[in-house]
Amino acid sequence: MNEKFRKYTTPETFERIVDFQNVTEMWTRCISEYANDIAIVDGENYTYAQLDEDVSRFRTVLKENNAGTGSLIGILCPNSYGFVKAFLAATTLGVAAVLLPAHMDVNTVFGVATKFGMKAVVYDESLEDRVALLREKNPSVALIPSSATASEKTAMIPVPAEATAAVLFTGGTTGKSKGAKISQRALMAGTKNGCYGVREIFGQRYLLVLPLTHVFGLIRNLMTSLYTGSTLFICRNNKDMFRDVAIFKPTIMVLVPALAEMALTLSVQFGRNMWGPDLKTIICGAAPVAQYLITEYAKRGIALLPGYGLTESANLVSGNIEPLKKPESVGLIYGGMEYKIVDGELWLKGVNMMSGYVSDEENDIAYEDGYFKTGDLVRIDEDGYLYITGRIKDIIVLSSGEKVSPAELEVKFCAIDTVQDCLVYDTTENGMHQLVLEVYPRFTKVKELGIEDINAHIKAEFERVNKTLPTFERINKLVIRDTDFIRTPAMKIARNLNGNVKK
Amino acid sequence: MAMSRSEIFEKLNEVINMVMPALDVTETEITEDSNLVNDIGLSSVGILYVVIAIEEFFGIRFDDVGFADFETIKDVIDYIEKKI
Repeated sequence: MNEKFRKYTTPETFERIVDFQNVTEMWTRCISEYANDIAIVDGENYTYAQLDEDVSRFRTVLKENNAGTGSLIGILCPNSYGFVKAFLAATTLGVAAVLLPAHMDVNTVFGVATKFGMKAVVYDESLEDRVALLREKNPSVALIPSSATASEKTAMIPVPAEATAAVLFTGGTTGKSKGAKISQRALMAGTKNGCYGVREIFGQRYLLVLPLTHVFGLIRNLMTSLYTGSTLFICRNNKDMFRDVAIFKPTIMVLVPALAEMALTLSVQFGRNMWGPDLKTIICGAAPVAQYLITEYAKRGIALLPGYGLTESANLVSGNIEPLKKPESVGLIYGGMEYKIVDGELWLKGVNMMSGYVSDEENDIAYEDGYFKTGDLVRIDEDGYLYITGRIKDIIVLSSGEKVSPAELEVKFCAIDTVQDCLVYDTTENGMHQLVLEVYPRFTKVKELGIEDINAHIKAEFERVNKTLPTFERINKLVIRDTDFIRTPAMKIARNLNGNVKK
Repeated sequence: MAMSRSEIFEKLNEVINMVMPALDVTETEITEDSNLVNDIGLSSVGILYVVIAIEEFFGIRFDDVGFADFETIKDVIDYIEKKI
Protein backbone atom coordinates (compact mmCIF):
# COMPACT_ATOMS: atom_id res chain seq x y z
CA MET A 1 0.00 0.00 0.00
CA ASN A 2 3.04 2.24 0.11
CA GLU A 3 4.31 1.06 -3.30
CA LYS A 4 4.29 4.63 -4.57
CA PHE A 5 7.21 5.35 -2.25
CA ARG A 6 9.31 2.37 -3.40
CA LYS A 7 11.37 4.16 -6.01
CA TYR A 8 12.55 6.76 -3.51
CA THR A 9 14.49 4.27 -1.39
CA THR A 10 16.96 1.52 -2.12
CA PRO A 11 15.34 -1.92 -2.59
CA GLU A 12 17.00 -3.21 0.59
CA THR A 13 15.69 -0.27 2.57
CA PHE A 14 12.18 -0.65 1.26
CA GLU A 15 12.04 -4.30 2.33
CA ARG A 16 13.10 -3.42 5.85
CA ILE A 17 10.20 -1.00 6.32
CA VAL A 18 7.68 -3.40 7.80
CA ASP A 19 4.53 -3.21 9.92
CA PHE A 20 4.72 -3.63 13.67
CA GLN A 21 1.59 -3.97 15.77
CA ASN A 22 3.09 -2.60 18.96
CA VAL A 23 6.24 -1.00 20.35
CA THR A 24 7.35 -4.33 21.80
CA GLU A 25 7.64 -5.83 18.30
CA MET A 26 9.66 -2.87 17.09
CA TRP A 27 11.91 -2.83 20.13
CA THR A 28 12.54 -6.57 19.82
CA ARG A 29 13.97 -5.97 16.34
CA CYS A 30 15.96 -2.97 17.58
CA ILE A 31 17.78 -4.88 20.31
CA SER A 32 18.30 -7.86 18.07
CA GLU A 33 19.81 -5.90 15.18
CA TYR A 34 21.33 -2.76 16.68
CA ALA A 35 22.42 -3.79 20.20
CA ASN A 36 25.87 -2.26 19.98
CA ASP A 37 24.89 0.81 18.00
CA ILE A 38 24.36 4.10 19.76
CA ALA A 39 20.67 4.82 20.26
CA ILE A 40 20.73 8.05 22.27
CA VAL A 41 23.30 10.74 22.97
CA ASP A 42 22.37 12.87 25.97
CA GLY A 43 25.56 13.99 27.64
CA GLU A 44 26.82 10.45 27.19
CA ASN A 45 26.29 7.70 24.64
CA TYR A 46 23.69 4.99 25.27
CA THR A 47 23.71 1.93 23.03
CA TYR A 48 20.51 0.12 22.17
CA ALA A 49 21.60 -2.64 24.59
CA GLN A 50 22.20 -0.12 27.40
CA LEU A 51 18.88 1.57 26.74
CA ASP A 52 17.17 -1.82 26.78
CA GLU A 53 18.79 -2.64 30.12
CA ASP A 54 17.65 0.66 31.65
CA VAL A 55 14.17 0.31 30.17
CA SER A 56 13.86 -3.21 31.60
CA ARG A 57 14.65 -1.92 35.07
CA PHE A 58 12.32 1.02 34.67
CA ARG A 59 9.45 -1.35 33.88
CA THR A 60 10.10 -2.82 37.33
CA VAL A 61 9.99 0.69 38.82
CA LEU A 62 6.59 1.26 37.23
CA LYS A 63 5.24 -2.04 38.53
CA GLU A 64 6.58 -1.38 42.01
CA ASN A 65 4.68 1.91 41.97
CA ASN A 66 1.35 0.34 41.16
CA ALA A 67 1.65 1.45 37.53
CA GLY A 68 1.62 -1.92 35.79
CA THR A 69 -0.01 -3.16 32.61
CA GLY A 70 -3.31 -1.46 31.83
CA SER A 71 -2.62 1.63 33.93
CA LEU A 72 -2.02 5.19 32.88
CA ILE A 73 0.91 7.41 33.84
CA GLY A 74 2.13 10.91 33.11
CA ILE A 75 5.60 11.75 31.81
CA LEU A 76 6.74 15.22 32.78
CA CYS A 77 10.26 15.51 31.43
CA PRO A 78 12.10 17.84 29.09
CA ASN A 79 13.76 16.18 26.10
CA SER A 80 16.11 13.77 27.84
CA TYR A 81 17.31 10.21 28.09
CA GLY A 82 14.96 9.88 31.07
CA PHE A 83 11.97 10.71 28.85
CA VAL A 84 12.98 8.10 26.26
CA LYS A 85 13.55 5.46 28.92
CA ALA A 86 10.20 6.11 30.63
CA PHE A 87 8.27 6.19 27.36
CA LEU A 88 9.74 2.91 26.10
CA ALA A 89 9.24 1.23 29.49
CA ALA A 90 5.58 2.27 29.59
CA THR A 91 4.74 1.37 26.00
CA THR A 92 6.42 -2.06 26.17
CA LEU A 93 4.58 -2.86 29.40
CA GLY A 94 1.13 -1.89 28.15
CA VAL A 95 1.03 1.29 30.21
CA ALA A 96 -0.48 4.36 28.54
CA ALA A 97 1.79 7.42 28.76
CA VAL A 98 0.24 10.88 28.94
CA LEU A 99 2.88 13.29 27.69
CA LEU A 100 2.84 16.42 29.82
CA PRO A 101 4.56 19.41 28.18
CA ALA A 102 7.54 20.59 30.22
CA HIS A 103 6.04 24.10 30.49
CA MET A 104 2.83 22.79 32.11
CA ASP A 105 2.22 24.60 35.39
CA VAL A 106 1.82 22.99 38.79
CA ASN A 107 -1.97 23.42 38.92
CA THR A 108 -2.52 21.90 35.49
CA VAL A 109 -0.26 18.95 36.29
CA PHE A 110 -2.34 18.34 39.40
CA GLY A 111 -5.61 18.76 37.50
CA VAL A 112 -4.69 16.51 34.57
CA ALA A 113 -3.16 13.76 36.73
CA THR A 114 -6.21 13.71 38.98
CA LYS A 115 -8.79 13.92 36.20
CA PHE A 116 -7.12 11.22 34.12
CA GLY A 117 -6.73 8.90 37.13
CA MET A 118 -2.99 8.49 36.65
CA LYS A 119 -1.27 5.88 38.76
CA ALA A 120 2.03 7.70 38.61
CA VAL A 121 3.86 10.68 37.16
CA VAL A 122 7.44 10.19 35.99
CA TYR A 123 9.17 13.53 36.36
CA ASP A 124 12.54 15.05 35.72
CA GLU A 125 14.16 16.35 38.91
CA SER A 126 14.49 19.81 37.33
CA LEU A 127 10.66 19.97 37.27
CA GLU A 128 10.11 18.84 40.84
CA ASP A 129 8.21 22.04 41.69
CA ARG A 130 5.54 21.10 39.12
CA VAL A 131 4.53 18.00 41.05
CA ALA A 132 4.45 19.74 44.43
CA LEU A 133 0.67 20.14 44.48
CA LEU A 134 0.18 16.56 43.42
CA ARG A 135 2.47 15.40 46.20
CA GLU A 136 0.52 17.45 48.73
CA LYS A 137 -3.07 16.92 47.61
CA ASN A 138 -3.20 13.59 45.80
CA PRO A 139 -0.83 11.07 47.38
CA SER A 140 -2.49 8.24 45.46
CA VAL A 141 -0.45 9.31 42.41
CA ALA A 142 3.06 7.90 42.75
CA LEU A 143 5.79 10.39 41.89
CA ILE A 144 8.75 8.73 40.20
CA PRO A 145 11.97 10.57 39.33
CA SER A 146 13.01 9.69 35.79
CA SER A 147 16.42 8.65 37.13
CA ALA A 148 14.84 5.88 39.24
CA THR A 149 15.98 2.32 38.66
CA ALA A 150 15.52 -1.15 40.15
CA SER A 151 17.75 -4.11 40.84
CA GLU A 152 15.42 -6.50 39.00
CA LYS A 153 14.47 -6.39 35.34
CA THR A 154 10.95 -6.85 33.98
CA ALA A 155 10.44 -8.30 30.51
CA MET A 156 8.41 -6.48 27.88
CA ILE A 157 5.07 -7.97 26.92
CA PRO A 158 3.08 -8.32 23.69
CA VAL A 159 0.73 -5.38 24.12
CA PRO A 160 -2.59 -5.48 22.20
CA ALA A 161 -2.42 -3.30 19.08
CA GLU A 162 -5.51 -1.36 20.09
CA ALA A 163 -4.22 -0.52 23.60
CA THR A 164 -3.50 3.17 24.16
CA ALA A 165 0.24 3.83 23.93
CA ALA A 166 0.24 7.60 24.38
CA VAL A 167 -2.00 10.54 25.05
CA LEU A 168 -0.81 13.75 23.41
CA PHE A 169 -2.27 17.17 23.97
CA THR A 170 -3.47 19.14 21.00
CA GLY A 171 -5.42 22.25 20.19
CA GLY A 172 -7.35 20.12 17.68
CA THR A 173 -10.13 21.57 15.63
CA THR A 174 -11.71 23.68 18.34
CA GLY A 175 -8.64 25.31 19.81
CA LYS A 176 -9.35 23.97 23.28
CA SER A 177 -6.54 21.79 24.59
CA LYS A 178 -7.49 18.12 24.71
CA GLY A 179 -5.87 14.71 24.86
CA ALA A 180 -5.64 12.51 21.75
CA LYS A 181 -5.37 8.78 22.46
CA ILE A 182 -2.82 7.10 20.18
CA SER A 183 -2.97 3.31 20.10
CA GLN A 184 0.06 1.04 19.83
CA ARG A 185 -0.88 0.25 16.21
CA ALA A 186 -1.33 3.91 15.32
CA LEU A 187 1.98 4.83 16.94
CA MET A 188 3.75 2.16 14.90
CA ALA A 189 1.95 3.10 11.67
CA GLY A 190 2.95 6.74 12.15
CA THR A 191 6.52 5.70 12.90
CA LYS A 192 6.66 3.56 9.77
CA ASN A 193 5.28 6.36 7.60
CA GLY A 194 8.26 8.44 8.64
CA CYS A 195 10.59 5.92 6.99
CA TYR A 196 9.50 6.60 3.42
CA GLY A 197 10.94 9.10 0.99
CA VAL A 198 14.59 9.05 2.07
CA ARG A 199 16.94 6.88 0.03
CA GLU A 200 18.84 5.47 3.02
CA ILE A 201 16.74 5.83 6.16
CA PHE A 202 18.43 3.23 8.37
CA GLY A 203 21.48 4.03 10.46
CA GLN A 204 21.16 7.81 10.27
CA ARG A 205 22.10 10.53 12.77
CA TYR A 206 19.26 12.74 14.04
CA LEU A 207 19.59 15.82 16.21
CA LEU A 208 16.47 16.39 18.30
CA VAL A 209 15.31 19.98 18.73
CA LEU A 210 11.52 19.57 18.75
CA PRO A 211 9.76 18.72 22.01
CA LEU A 212 9.07 15.04 22.56
CA THR A 213 5.63 15.94 23.84
CA HIS A 214 4.79 17.16 20.32
CA VAL A 215 3.74 14.45 17.88
CA PHE A 216 6.34 15.50 15.31
CA GLY A 217 9.15 15.25 17.85
CA LEU A 218 7.88 12.04 19.41
CA ILE A 219 7.04 10.03 16.31
CA ARG A 220 8.99 11.33 13.31
CA ASN A 221 12.04 12.17 15.37
CA LEU A 222 12.35 9.75 18.29
CA MET A 223 10.37 6.71 17.18
CA THR A 224 11.49 6.69 13.55
CA SER A 225 15.07 7.13 14.71
CA LEU A 226 14.76 4.05 16.95
CA TYR A 227 12.86 2.08 14.32
CA THR A 228 15.69 2.59 11.86
CA GLY A 229 18.55 1.82 14.25
CA SER A 230 19.67 5.43 14.02
CA THR A 231 21.28 7.63 16.65
CA LEU A 232 19.36 10.45 18.28
CA PHE A 233 21.39 13.29 19.77
CA ILE A 234 19.28 15.20 22.29
CA CYS A 235 19.86 18.95 22.09
CA ARG A 236 19.08 20.13 25.63
CA ASN A 237 18.84 23.82 24.77
CA ASN A 238 17.93 24.98 21.28
CA LYS A 239 20.25 27.95 21.54
CA ASP A 240 23.09 25.41 21.54
CA MET A 241 21.82 23.51 18.51
CA PHE A 242 24.58 24.62 16.17
CA ARG A 243 27.25 23.78 18.72
CA ASP A 244 25.65 20.35 18.96
CA VAL A 245 25.56 20.14 15.17
CA ALA A 246 29.31 20.80 15.04
CA ILE A 247 29.92 17.96 17.49
CA PHE A 248 27.41 15.43 16.21
CA LYS A 249 27.17 16.20 12.48
CA PRO A 250 23.56 15.06 11.92
CA THR A 251 22.49 13.54 8.62
CA ILE A 252 18.75 14.23 9.04
CA MET A 253 16.93 17.03 10.84
CA VAL A 254 13.23 17.14 11.71
CA LEU A 255 12.28 20.80 11.80
CA VAL A 256 9.53 23.33 11.79
CA PRO A 257 9.91 25.86 8.92
CA ALA A 258 10.94 28.69 11.24
CA LEU A 259 14.02 26.78 12.40
CA ALA A 260 14.91 25.76 8.84
CA GLU A 261 14.67 29.41 7.87
CA MET A 262 16.71 30.59 10.82
CA ALA A 263 19.56 28.24 9.96
CA LEU A 264 19.50 29.41 6.38
CA THR A 265 19.71 33.07 7.40
CA LEU A 266 22.52 32.39 9.83
CA SER A 267 24.39 30.32 7.23
CA VAL A 268 24.35 33.31 4.89
CA GLN A 269 25.31 35.79 7.57
CA PHE A 270 28.10 33.77 9.11
CA GLY A 271 29.33 32.46 5.77
CA ARG A 272 29.25 28.80 6.74
CA ASN A 273 26.80 25.93 6.56
CA MET A 274 25.23 25.93 10.02
CA TRP A 275 24.04 22.33 9.57
CA GLY A 276 27.53 20.96 9.08
CA PRO A 277 28.92 18.88 6.23
CA ASP A 278 26.81 15.72 6.58
CA LEU A 279 23.21 16.93 6.56
CA LYS A 280 21.39 15.58 3.53
CA THR A 281 17.71 15.72 4.50
CA ILE A 282 15.36 18.01 6.38
CA ILE A 283 11.89 16.73 7.21
CA CYS A 284 9.82 19.87 7.56
CA GLY A 285 6.29 20.33 8.82
CA ALA A 286 3.90 21.45 11.56
CA ALA A 287 3.41 24.75 9.68
CA PRO A 288 3.29 25.82 6.02
CA VAL A 289 6.66 25.46 4.27
CA ALA A 290 7.80 28.35 2.08
CA GLN A 291 8.90 27.34 -1.41
CA TYR A 292 12.09 29.29 -1.21
CA LEU A 293 13.25 27.10 1.68
CA ILE A 294 12.98 24.08 -0.61
CA THR A 295 14.92 25.70 -3.43
CA GLU A 296 17.55 27.36 -1.23
CA TYR A 297 18.31 24.13 0.59
CA ALA A 298 18.39 22.23 -2.71
CA LYS A 299 21.13 24.62 -3.88
CA ARG A 300 23.10 23.52 -0.84
CA GLY A 301 22.62 19.83 -1.57
CA ILE A 302 20.01 19.33 1.14
CA ALA A 303 16.60 17.85 0.33
CA LEU A 304 13.92 19.65 2.33
CA LEU A 305 10.84 17.43 2.34
CA PRO A 306 7.59 19.04 3.45
CA GLY A 307 4.92 16.93 5.06
CA TYR A 308 1.52 17.21 6.62
CA GLY A 309 0.40 15.63 9.83
CA LEU A 310 -1.76 15.97 12.87
CA THR A 311 -1.56 14.85 16.46
CA GLU A 312 -4.77 12.95 15.76
CA SER A 313 -3.12 11.00 12.93
CA ALA A 314 -0.06 9.92 14.93
CA ASN A 315 1.87 12.47 12.94
CA LEU A 316 2.35 11.99 9.22
CA VAL A 317 -0.62 11.97 6.86
CA SER A 318 1.41 12.80 3.75
CA GLY A 319 4.97 13.43 2.68
CA ASN A 320 6.35 15.27 -0.33
CA ILE A 321 9.17 13.32 -1.94
CA GLU A 322 9.20 15.50 -5.06
CA PRO A 323 9.45 18.95 -3.47
CA LEU A 324 11.22 20.54 -6.44
CA LYS A 325 8.51 19.40 -8.84
CA LYS A 326 5.60 20.14 -6.53
CA PRO A 327 6.85 22.73 -4.05
CA GLU A 328 3.41 23.84 -2.92
CA SER A 329 2.26 20.36 -2.04
CA VAL A 330 2.46 18.51 1.27
CA GLY A 331 2.87 15.31 -0.70
CA LEU A 332 1.36 11.91 -1.20
CA ILE A 333 -0.95 10.39 1.39
CA TYR A 334 0.59 7.39 3.14
CA GLY A 335 -0.93 3.94 2.86
CA GLY A 336 -3.37 2.53 5.37
CA MET A 337 -5.48 5.66 5.33
CA GLU A 338 -8.83 6.41 3.77
CA TYR A 339 -9.83 9.93 3.03
CA LYS A 340 -12.63 11.93 1.54
CA ILE A 341 -13.02 15.62 0.89
CA VAL A 342 -16.28 17.09 2.08
CA ASP A 343 -16.99 20.71 1.15
CA GLY A 344 -13.25 21.12 0.73
CA GLU A 345 -12.45 19.72 4.19
CA LEU A 346 -10.20 16.67 4.54
CA TRP A 347 -11.74 13.75 6.44
CA LEU A 348 -9.55 10.82 7.47
CA LYS A 349 -9.71 7.32 8.88
CA GLY A 350 -7.16 4.53 8.99
CA VAL A 351 -4.54 2.64 10.94
CA ASN A 352 -2.60 5.63 12.14
CA MET A 353 -5.59 7.64 13.31
CA MET A 354 -6.13 8.22 17.03
CA SER A 355 -8.65 6.10 18.92
CA GLY A 356 -10.37 9.33 19.90
CA TYR A 357 -10.05 12.19 22.33
CA VAL A 358 -10.11 11.45 26.03
CA SER A 359 -13.36 13.35 26.37
CA ASP A 360 -16.40 11.78 24.68
CA GLU A 361 -17.90 15.23 24.32
CA GLU A 362 -15.02 16.22 22.03
CA ASN A 363 -15.45 13.05 19.97
CA ASP A 364 -19.05 13.90 19.24
CA ILE A 365 -18.00 16.89 17.18
CA ALA A 366 -14.70 15.55 15.84
CA TYR A 367 -16.11 12.65 13.84
CA GLU A 368 -18.73 12.13 11.20
CA ASP A 369 -19.56 8.99 9.29
CA GLY A 370 -16.60 7.26 10.94
CA TYR A 371 -14.12 9.86 9.65
CA PHE A 372 -12.10 12.36 11.63
CA LYS A 373 -12.77 15.86 10.37
CA THR A 374 -9.39 17.59 10.15
CA GLY A 375 -10.63 21.16 9.85
CA ASP A 376 -8.15 21.65 6.98
CA LEU A 377 -9.27 22.68 3.53
CA VAL A 378 -7.45 20.76 0.81
CA ARG A 379 -7.28 19.78 -2.81
CA ILE A 380 -5.59 16.82 -4.52
CA ASP A 381 -4.02 17.05 -7.98
CA GLU A 382 -4.07 14.53 -10.79
CA ASP A 383 -0.94 12.80 -9.44
CA GLY A 384 -2.45 12.36 -6.01
CA TYR A 385 -0.50 15.20 -4.37
CA LEU A 386 -2.21 16.93 -1.49
CA TYR A 387 -2.38 20.73 -1.07
CA ILE A 388 -3.57 22.58 2.03
CA THR A 389 -5.62 25.55 0.90
CA GLY A 390 -6.86 26.90 4.20
CA ARG A 391 -7.99 26.14 7.68
CA ILE A 392 -11.49 26.05 8.98
CA LYS A 393 -10.39 26.62 12.47
CA ASP A 394 -9.44 29.96 13.87
CA ILE A 395 -6.45 28.55 15.66
CA ILE A 396 -3.28 30.41 14.83
CA VAL A 397 -0.30 28.27 13.85
CA LEU A 398 2.91 30.21 14.38
CA SER A 399 5.85 29.70 12.04
CA SER A 400 7.46 27.74 14.87
CA GLY A 401 4.61 25.24 14.66
CA GLU A 402 3.29 26.29 18.06
CA LYS A 403 -0.44 26.81 18.19
CA VAL A 404 -2.22 29.73 19.74
CA SER A 405 -5.88 29.92 20.51
CA PRO A 406 -7.00 33.56 20.07
CA ALA A 407 -10.09 33.02 22.19
CA GLU A 408 -8.06 31.79 25.15
CA LEU A 409 -5.78 34.83 24.99
CA GLU A 410 -8.65 37.27 24.57
CA VAL A 411 -10.20 36.06 27.80
CA LYS A 412 -7.00 36.95 29.63
CA PHE A 413 -6.76 40.47 28.23
CA CYS A 414 -10.45 41.12 28.62
CA ALA A 415 -10.00 40.49 32.33
CA ILE A 416 -8.43 43.98 32.53
CA ASP A 417 -11.21 46.15 33.84
CA THR A 418 -10.44 49.06 31.51
CA VAL A 419 -10.67 46.78 28.46
CA GLN A 420 -14.13 46.44 27.01
CA ASP A 421 -13.31 44.02 24.28
CA CYS A 422 -10.34 42.74 22.36
CA LEU A 423 -9.31 40.64 19.40
CA VAL A 424 -6.19 38.54 18.82
CA TYR A 425 -5.02 37.74 15.33
CA ASP A 426 -1.82 37.10 13.43
CA THR A 427 -0.16 38.97 10.63
CA THR A 428 2.20 37.43 8.13
CA GLU A 429 3.40 40.45 6.26
CA ASN A 430 6.83 40.05 4.65
CA GLY A 431 7.02 36.53 6.01
CA MET A 432 7.10 37.77 9.59
CA HIS A 433 4.56 36.14 11.83
CA GLN A 434 3.30 38.36 14.60
CA LEU A 435 0.55 38.12 17.16
CA VAL A 436 -1.47 41.30 17.40
CA LEU A 437 -3.88 42.35 20.10
CA GLU A 438 -6.46 45.01 19.34
CA VAL A 439 -8.12 46.54 22.33
CA TYR A 440 -11.21 48.65 22.65
CA PRO A 441 -11.05 50.45 26.01
CA ARG A 442 -13.89 50.64 28.48
CA PHE A 443 -14.10 54.43 28.52
CA THR A 444 -16.55 54.62 31.39
CA LYS A 445 -14.14 52.83 33.69
CA VAL A 446 -11.24 54.90 32.42
CA LYS A 447 -13.16 58.05 33.35
CA GLU A 448 -14.21 56.64 36.70
CA LEU A 449 -10.61 55.91 37.61
CA GLY A 450 -9.52 59.38 36.54
CA ILE A 451 -6.95 58.01 34.10
CA GLU A 452 -5.56 60.76 31.93
CA ASP A 453 -3.19 58.95 29.61
CA ILE A 454 -5.31 56.05 28.46
CA ASN A 455 -2.74 54.68 26.04
CA ALA A 456 -0.05 54.51 28.69
CA HIS A 457 -2.44 52.87 31.10
CA ILE A 458 -3.62 50.22 28.64
CA LYS A 459 -0.05 49.55 27.55
CA ALA A 460 1.06 49.02 31.15
CA GLU A 461 -1.85 46.69 31.88
CA PHE A 462 -1.24 44.84 28.63
CA GLU A 463 2.42 44.31 29.50
CA ARG A 464 1.49 43.05 32.94
CA VAL A 465 -0.76 40.34 31.48
CA ASN A 466 1.52 39.60 28.53
CA LYS A 467 4.41 38.79 30.85
CA THR A 468 2.40 36.02 32.47
CA LEU A 469 2.02 34.14 29.17
CA PRO A 470 4.39 31.49 27.80
CA THR A 471 6.85 33.18 25.41
CA PHE A 472 5.30 31.78 22.25
CA GLU A 473 1.85 33.05 23.25
CA ARG A 474 2.99 36.59 23.97
CA ILE A 475 1.53 39.34 21.89
CA ASN A 476 4.03 41.20 19.74
CA LYS A 477 1.98 44.24 18.89
CA LEU A 478 -0.72 46.18 20.67
CA VAL A 479 -3.26 48.34 18.85
CA ILE A 480 -5.59 50.55 20.89
CA ARG A 481 -8.79 51.38 19.05
CA ASP A 482 -10.87 54.50 19.43
CA THR A 483 -13.89 52.90 17.81
CA ASP A 484 -15.63 49.67 18.62
CA PHE A 485 -15.21 46.51 16.56
CA ILE A 486 -17.62 45.64 13.79
CA ARG A 487 -19.95 43.09 15.31
CA THR A 488 -22.24 40.28 14.25
CA PRO A 489 -25.97 40.48 14.91
CA ALA A 490 -25.30 38.52 18.09
CA MET A 491 -22.92 41.32 19.14
CA LYS A 492 -19.86 39.14 18.82
CA ILE A 493 -16.82 40.60 17.15
CA ALA A 494 -16.87 39.69 13.48
CA ARG A 495 -13.51 37.96 13.73
CA ASN A 496 -12.60 37.64 10.09
CA LEU A 497 -13.87 40.96 8.89
CA ASN A 498 -11.24 43.26 7.38
CA GLY A 499 -12.55 46.29 9.20
CA ASN A 500 -11.68 44.65 12.48
CA VAL A 501 -8.00 44.29 11.86
CA LYS A 502 -5.60 47.12 11.18
CA LYS A 503 -2.98 45.12 9.33
CA MET B 1 36.97 42.11 23.91
CA ALA B 2 36.83 45.72 25.09
CA MET B 3 33.64 47.40 23.90
CA SER B 4 31.87 50.48 25.10
CA ARG B 5 28.18 50.41 25.92
CA SER B 6 27.33 52.31 22.78
CA GLU B 7 29.38 49.89 20.68
CA ILE B 8 27.48 46.98 22.24
CA PHE B 9 24.20 48.73 21.50
CA GLU B 10 25.23 49.34 17.93
CA LYS B 11 26.30 45.72 17.46
CA LEU B 12 23.10 44.48 19.07
CA ASN B 13 21.08 46.63 16.72
CA GLU B 14 23.02 45.11 13.85
CA VAL B 15 22.33 41.60 15.15
CA ILE B 16 18.59 42.25 15.39
CA ASN B 17 18.62 43.86 11.99
CA MET B 18 20.41 40.85 10.58
CA VAL B 19 18.17 38.15 11.97
CA MET B 20 14.90 39.96 11.51
CA PRO B 21 15.06 41.19 7.94
CA ALA B 22 11.31 41.54 7.79
CA LEU B 23 11.38 43.98 10.67
CA ASP B 24 11.93 47.56 9.63
CA VAL B 25 14.22 48.49 12.49
CA THR B 26 15.01 51.94 11.19
CA GLU B 27 11.40 52.91 11.61
CA THR B 28 10.86 50.95 14.78
CA GLU B 29 13.83 52.83 16.28
CA ILE B 30 15.26 50.49 18.84
CA THR B 31 16.30 52.17 22.06
CA GLU B 32 17.61 50.80 25.33
CA ASP B 33 14.06 50.90 26.65
CA SER B 34 12.61 48.89 23.76
CA ASN B 35 10.73 45.86 24.98
CA LEU B 36 11.94 42.74 23.17
CA VAL B 37 8.50 41.24 22.64
CA ASN B 38 6.13 44.19 22.59
CA ASP B 39 8.20 46.85 20.84
CA ILE B 40 10.63 44.89 18.69
CA GLY B 41 8.21 42.10 17.98
CA LEU B 42 10.48 39.15 18.69
CA SER B 43 8.68 35.80 18.55
CA SER B 44 10.02 32.76 20.41
CA VAL B 45 11.97 31.77 17.31
CA GLY B 46 13.06 35.39 16.84
CA ILE B 47 14.49 35.35 20.34
CA LEU B 48 16.34 32.15 19.54
CA TYR B 49 17.82 33.82 16.43
CA VAL B 50 19.03 36.77 18.45
CA VAL B 51 20.54 34.63 21.20
CA ILE B 52 22.49 32.47 18.75
CA ALA B 53 23.66 35.52 16.83
CA ILE B 54 24.70 37.39 19.99
CA GLU B 55 26.67 34.39 21.20
CA GLU B 56 28.40 34.15 17.85
CA PHE B 57 29.12 37.87 17.49
CA PHE B 58 30.16 38.63 21.04
CA GLY B 59 31.78 35.29 21.80
CA ILE B 60 29.75 34.85 24.98
CA ARG B 61 27.35 32.20 26.26
CA PHE B 62 24.04 32.68 27.95
CA ASP B 63 24.89 29.90 30.34
CA ASP B 64 23.48 31.18 33.61
CA VAL B 65 20.32 32.90 32.43
CA GLY B 66 17.42 32.34 30.06
CA PHE B 67 16.86 34.95 27.38
CA ALA B 68 13.19 35.00 28.36
CA ASP B 69 14.33 36.66 31.59
CA PHE B 70 15.26 39.79 29.65
CA GLU B 71 12.56 42.33 29.01
CA THR B 72 14.33 45.20 27.33
CA ILE B 73 17.37 45.92 25.19
CA LYS B 74 18.93 47.51 28.27
CA ASP B 75 18.75 44.19 30.15
CA VAL B 76 20.54 42.45 27.27
CA ILE B 77 23.26 45.11 27.06
CA ASP B 78 23.80 44.92 30.82
CA TYR B 79 24.29 41.18 30.54
CA ILE B 80 26.63 41.37 27.55
CA GLU B 81 28.64 44.09 29.29
CA LYS B 82 29.17 41.80 32.26
CA LYS B 83 30.18 38.82 30.14
CA ILE B 84 32.69 40.34 27.71
